Amino acid sequence: MNFENVELIFFALAFFLAALSAAGYLFSLLVKRVILAKISTWILAGAFLLLTAYLIAAAFNANGFTNLGPRALFAFYAWSASAVYLFLQFKTKTRLLGAFIGPLVLLFVIIAAGQEAGKAILPQGLQSWLATTHLALSIVGEILFVLASCAGAMFIMQNSLLKSGKFTSMSRLLPSLGDLDRINHLCLLWGFPLLSTGIIAGAFYAAFVWKNLWTYAPKVIWSFIAWVVYGVLLHQRLALGWKGFRMAALSCIVFLLLLLTYILVKLCFSSLHDFV
Amino acid sequence: MIILIGLNHKTAPLAVRERLFAGCEEAQDLLPEFLAIEGVAETLFLATCNRVEVIAVIEDNPETIAKLKTALMKKGGLTDDESACLYTYRDDEAIKHLFRVTASLDSLVMGETQILGQAKDAYRQALAQNATSVALNRLMHRAFRAAKRVRTETGIAANPVSVSFAAVELAKKIFGTLAGKKILIVGAGEMAELTGTHLVGNGAEEITVANRSGAQAAALAEKFHGRAVGLEALDDALSHADIVISSTGAPSYIITEDMLRQALRRRKNRLLFLIDIAMPRDIDPAAGDIENVYLYNIDNLQDIVDENVKMRRREALKAQKIVDEEVAQYSGWLKELEAVPTIVSLRTKAEKIVRAELEKAQSWMNGMGNGDKEKIEALVQGIVNKILHAPVAVMKEESAEFNSQDIVAAARQLFRLDE
Repeated sequence: MNFENVELIFFALAFFLAALSAAGYLFSLLVKRVILAKISTWILAGAFLLLTAYLIAAAFNANGFTNLGPRALFAFYAWSASAVYLFLQFKTKTRLLGAFIGPLVLLFVIIAAGQEAGKAILPQGLQSWLATTHLALSIVGEILFVLASCAGAMFIMQNSLLKSGKFTSMSRLLPSLGDLDRINHLCLLWGFPLLSTGIIAGAFYAAFVWKNLWTYAPKVIWSFIAWVVYGVLLHQRLALGWKGFRMAALSCIVFLLLLLTYILVKLCFSSLHDFV
Repeated sequence: MIILIGLNHKTAPLAVRERLFAGCEEAQDLLPEFLAIEGVAETLFLATCNRVEVIAVIEDNPETIAKLKTALMKKGGLTDDESACLYTYRDDEAIKHLFRVTASLDSLVMGETQILGQAKDAYRQALAQNATSVALNRLMHRAFRAAKRVRTETGIAANPVSVSFAAVELAKKIFGTLAGKKILIVGAGEMAELTGTHLVGNGAEEITVANRSGAQAAALAEKFHGRAVGLEALDDALSHADIVISSTGAPSYIITEDMLRQALRRRKNRLLFLIDIAMPRDIDPAAGDIENVYLYNIDNLQDIVDENVKMRRREALKAQKIVDEEVAQYSGWLKELEAVPTIVSLRTKAEKIVRAELEKAQSWMNGMGNGDKEKIEALVQGIVNKILHAPVAVMKEESAEFNSQDIVAAARQLFRLDE
């Protein structure tokens, strides 16, 4: 049995299910039926399991997680996005958040499909568990921030619907304000320490390899800014008691700004930290 | 035939409904009395505050119908004029009416779920008194099935059609769960009380009542096991409550935008749901613009209810289709229960068996002369006819008597005619 084929089959199936669930979520939004979102959640759970199987198979073929290639990296993005979302499904019944996350997962899987499967992301000599930890934690942390912002966007939608004094079927479909605020809270609360640990792991690792804790690579600076900004958001939440609309709006603005700077950085600069 | 005689909120004024309802409720021997009427085979009756309906399987005979009607009128002491409120439906019309009733399409509040439970109780009572048999048993089961289909396949019971339930639904969309949420009732109106009751029924806890008159507030607070405060404590109460229902008779705003802004600061921006059902309004409408404050007045709630009522009407069209399907199925079954088709299919089946057996016997009968063969065929035919004679005769007799359903159903089962 050829394991490279097994890896490919898992990936293809995950791709298929991710596409199916994204379509299901969007369609449920269109026809305003919760049952479709429910089914899509189960399909996404299937995609998650297949992505897990794919990552394990890929690691097996590459002789370890530290040697994984770019396709696995983006698959990991998709994996953590679906994992975090499915976990939140447990905590709050907010299936419609999937209408945001489903397409995001699909996007990651599509990007992953366009990447090379074999070549390791990190150059020889840079491969280590510390680097893998740095990557994994940073990715999960970033995904949590994305989710915090998605919940924020939905909060803003639901807020404006409810403020209008009417109660439409769209309002019925969207999750409650309380649940969305709670998701925003949970994501910031978990995302911040994860990203912090990820950045520290990266710094330690950089100290080992480049004999320097800090580099002025654009991506490093960008990550640091993101970390600070989300730290500030969490502080406002916990210490100042900012809740509801203000948090939702801020999360969205922060997310959009970071996305914009990230794209600019990607387009305009190249650096030592380019391999990811 | 199946007949349904009754009246409801559309055809009869409350005074008449009341009297008939009371008369039927008190009569213990109502079902036996109906059954005693000549020509009545099975019966069942349903009495609620909005309707009284008698359903019966009877001999097709105007006298029987008239007697049944008179018996019913007597129960409620209805005059001849008032008897105009009674409607009489036959066969498919009667089945359709019953299905519409259990599916809550005929209710005052379309889509309400109480009626199904009441119909089930009525059926249980009839069963206990042995008043129903094959036709009505199946009719009721089909009626319950139709009701269930309507409820699951259409949105007829989906959205609330009363102001207080609309408020509960809104509260759920704002807070997610009502568990642990605190309610503040300002003033003491009936509507505020009702809304408070529904909110508590959905998990809200801790009710505070604020009122100008201490005694009234205390009385309402007592009902909810809450506490009563004076209006001067409103500022403090606003910083603790999650849901505020206001319905005082005050001539001007008693909850101002400024009060709410301050309260929100004290409550650390926790979401606040305000329901203003007072006339004139109690809460400054400008408060609706404050972040994390959701203000609804009585017009907003009424609009939501109106919209939901419209939606239920649209869903009722879908429901009607389901009812029609179910009626067609049941009446198809009922027609099969009549004697003639059953006798025909019994004979056809016997004929088929005779043909098949004679076919098989051809091999060994080949050596016989034509005369002998004919004799054997006549013998076989004779035996079969003799055996069938009794069941066919009984079915004919019973159907002439008007009540052949039991025996026909038995015959269909014994001879496996439905397979």
